[in-house]
Amino acid sequence: MTFTPQKRPLKSPTGISKFLLVFPGIVFFTFLATVGAGLLGTWLPSLGYLPAMGKTALTLHPWTELFKHPALGGAVRSTLISGWGIALGAFLLSGLLFAMNYGSRTWRVMEKMLAPILSVPHAAFAIGLSFLISPGGWLVRMVSPELTGFDLPPDWVIPKDPHGISLMIALILKETPFLILVMAGALQQIDYSATMAVGRSLGYRPAQVRLKIILPQLFPHMRLSLYAVIAYSLSVVDMSMILGPTTPPTLPVLVVQWFNDPMPDARLMGAAGATLLLGMVLGSLFLAYLLEKAATALFKWRMANGKRETLLSPMAPVGRTLLMGGMTVFILAMVILVLWSFTWRWQFPDILPERWSFRFWEKSIHALGPPMVKTLLIGLASTIAGLVLTIGCLEYESTLLEPHAANRYKKYMSIIYLPLLLPQVAFIFGVQMMLTWFHLDASATGLVWSHLIFVLPYLFLTLGSTYRSFDRRIMTTATLLSGSPMKAFLKVKLPMLLRPILFSFAVGFSVSVAQYIPTLFIGAGRFSTITTEVVALAGGSDRRVAAVYALYQQLIPMGIYLLAIFVPKLMFMNRKLMQR
Amino acid sequence: MKLLLSLPAALLILFYAALSCADGWNDILKEARGQTVYFNAWGGSQVINDYISWAAEKAKKEFGIRVVHVKVSDLGEVVSRVLVEKSTGRKDKGSVDLMWINGENFKAMKENRLLYGPFTNQLPNYSLVDMENKPTTLFDFTVPVDNMEAPWGMALLVFQYDTRRIHTPPGSMEELLALAQTHPGRVTYPAPPSFYGTTFIKQALLELTDTPDALNIPVSQADFEQVTAPLWRFLDRLHPLMWRKGKVFTKGAPGMKQLLNDSEIFISLSFNPNDAANAIANGELPESVRTYVHRSGTIGNTHFLGIPYNSSAVEGAMVFADFLLSPLAQARKSDPEIWGDPTVLNLSRLSPGDRALFEKIPAPKASLSQSELVKVLPEPHPSWVEALEKAWQNRYSK
Repeated sequence: MTFTPQKRPLKSPTGISKFLLVFPGIVFFTFLATVGAGLLGTWLPSLGYLPAMGKTALTLHPWTELFKHPALGGAVRSTLISGWGIALGAFLLSGLLFAMNYGSRTWRVMEKMLAPILSVPHAAFAIGLSFLISPGGWLVRMVSPELTGFDLPPDWVIPKDPHGISLMIALILKETPFLILVMAGALQQIDYSATMAVGRSLGYRPAQVRLKIILPQLFPHMRLSLYAVIAYSLSVVDMSMILGPTTPPTLPVLVVQWFNDPMPDARLMGAAGATLLLGMVLGSLFLAYLLEKAATALFKWRMANGKRETLLSPMAPVGRTLLMGGMTVFILAMVILVLWSFTWRWQFPDILPERWSFRFWEKSIHALGPPMVKTLLIGLASTIAGLVLTIGCLEYESTLLEPHAANRYKKYMSIIYLPLLLPQVAFIFGVQMMLTWFHLDASATGLVWSHLIFVLPYLFLTLGSTYRSFDRRIMTTATLLSGSPMKAFLKVKLPMLLRPILFSFAVGFSVSVAQYIPTLFIGAGRFSTITTEVVALAGGSDRRVAAVYALYQQLIPMGIYLLAIFVPKLMFMNRKLMQR
Repeated sequence: MKLLLSLPAALLILFYAALSCADGWNDILKEARGQTVYFNAWGGSQVINDYISWAAEKAKKEFGIRVVHVKVSDLGEVVSRVLVEKSTGRKDKGSVDLMWINGENFKAMKENRLLYGPFTNQLPNYSLVDMENKPTTLFDFTVPVDNMEAPWGMALLVFQYDTRRIHTPPGSMEELLALAQTHPGRVTYPAPPSFYGTTFIKQALLELTDTPDALNIPVSQADFEQVTAPLWRFLDRLHPLMWRKGKVFTKGAPGMKQLLNDSEIFISLSFNPNDAANAIANGELPESVRTYVHRSGTIGNTHFLGIPYNSSAVEGAMVFADFLLSPLAQARKSDPEIWGDPTVLNLSRLSPGDRALFEKIPAPKASLSQSELVKVLPEPHPSWVEALEKAWQNRYSK
């Protein structure tokens, strides 16, 4: 009697694996095609190739024009100062705050506020902040003229200062919570309490344990997000238009100005400028990589110097104050929007409006329907499509049992993070060109696609680590008990991961809501969303209308975050372990 | 004798021309019914947005056209989109059907053949336009319009001041400098290449230069250094006395309006002589704000409506443009309570009933009165724009 192995079981793991390969396949090739075409569509014009305007000769002329442009030097300087300031500031601040305050009551309050803070779109935050901190803004009004003697607003050079300091502070405020969130996600990857117990038993202060033992373990999980922050800070457009320097503006703003210039030569120069910005971002990322290496080498001896005490412990109150201060700014920036939205007339130095009005809310209700519906539909479509792709790709990854293969796969898939690491202006005009070619511009498909490019990386970023750490044995058990991997996936894995999935859904959705440049250019103006309305109105003079729309822009993602928090709570009312 | 004979013939030709034109227009009206017109226009002003949505409702009711206002923050975006469409060979079904346009954008689109037309000669209401007294309806920043865009409204560089802070407004650039000396930090202007800023620079140049005639010829034929030297001397003295010591600039009139309301600055500017009145009625400015212009005259121009070459609803766009030119729409637009944008029509050519629409609009205190409306200065040759912007950036935007 010989034992003959069964020839192909009906649902072999390889079969599933093959089916799942569809997802990374779609993602991989379409991302490569889109980003590649986008870059090419920017590089060619930067070399003088733009047939529509009769420019077909390849020349370096746009580049010489760019380097001759009087505004370039100042623009590059303020971009680098503010960009690096933001990245370093947010990174150091999030690390120090974590070391000083993790686990404290203030920290727990902050963790609760993290989701709503992150959901605030950049444009809305910038508008609120400028209402708050400008010399004629609310903060000065609060203390004038009683404390300051100001009957007229002082002539302080904020915001929009020439070095981009106000822009820098605003973006540090906005990016630090993002890094803290990433850190919180990374914390799940390591055994915090055990590490802390060991560290404490060796006599290290908790802050010292976090600084010397926990943070170095967290950093590899944060690296990509930090790179994304660097790239974003160097290429931010909307916030820089509201809070950034003016003569000259930062490079990304200048590039958008050139792209919008009716003179063809300015467009070519814009393409060259966008490519220069791309170079600056890539150079900065490389520098960040070198800095990391240098810092590792430099601080190694300090990590191991055995010092148990740290200055961070007595400085905990400072950290708490910073945390409270940061949260207060977010709250005030929102409150001031609410106040302006109900204002009829409000002059300096009155603390509150002279006359109130519901008019702007009333009027907005009539005008709001279509942009609101479009914002929601585009957001839902791109985020749901993104989630299906993300889960498909991660599920495929989980079938790769060989660690070597899994690592190689992860390396290939990191291409989806490209849109986070490249400046939007460096390829979106090329993407627009490509979609126009296929008659997909001004179509819902094209627009959802363009949002998907920016939503997908965030879905991977927020869902990836939790998904990967899902205990494989649970799936094995469930598959054995149900007889079907599909059933096991739908009935056990998905519900167990519902909370992180919904959370990354909320993140992805708010990324979609905030998209301005893709919506405008790919949507060809056919799709006015809340964000296009907000940015259009922010360029006007009416603060009250701008405030109303900024609040709408803020409320949509906040609503989705709330759903993401409460849906799992309601669904798992009867499951004690899932309540956490 | 010959003349006598040719007169009836000429009349006959005219008659036929009129008939065929009317016929053609009826066809256009028929074609337009059911079309959707994507009207790309600056969306930064609620007041203007409200006016456009009123006009869109009217067009829906009367002509069966659906007008969608695509709110743009910078019209260059639209030019750039049409350009991309052209570069990918899109000859029809373009995404833009009608656009609010003038100046540099018009010049660029005309030169690059991105515009549909000529078409304004087919619009019935175009004959009411005041081409005799408003030459800028025919020359957009001195570029011949050639019926490629329909005049929509008149613009005039006016200044606004807060009477609580200043008793007598400055009547010239020199007086503005004197005012900045007594009130340091309370005067500013938008940075070029924002067209508000460029217009301010052009106004200053027209007032200060010793050879104003040179501005009418292309800049390449003039001695730029010599013509503009007084301008830079003036700005070099003004900037240190300005808001934020001339280190920060606003992007345009909307930003300056906010600063005027906050009393950060005492003088703002606008292209609409009724802007202050409208802003007061709207709660955006205090009631103490008034409008003035400089004694020697002020720059004026016209803003227009253009149709891209690949518009997917040419007829609908034409019908809507014609409606915006109608006495009803123009009168409503010129009402300071609504928008306050001055009309392009010649009131004497209107029927008494239509004229009454304009005459019943009250003249608000904060606007410029007819007697104060001084000489309108023509725009310099457009080649000066780029040269001035470049020179300005070279000096002040490093």
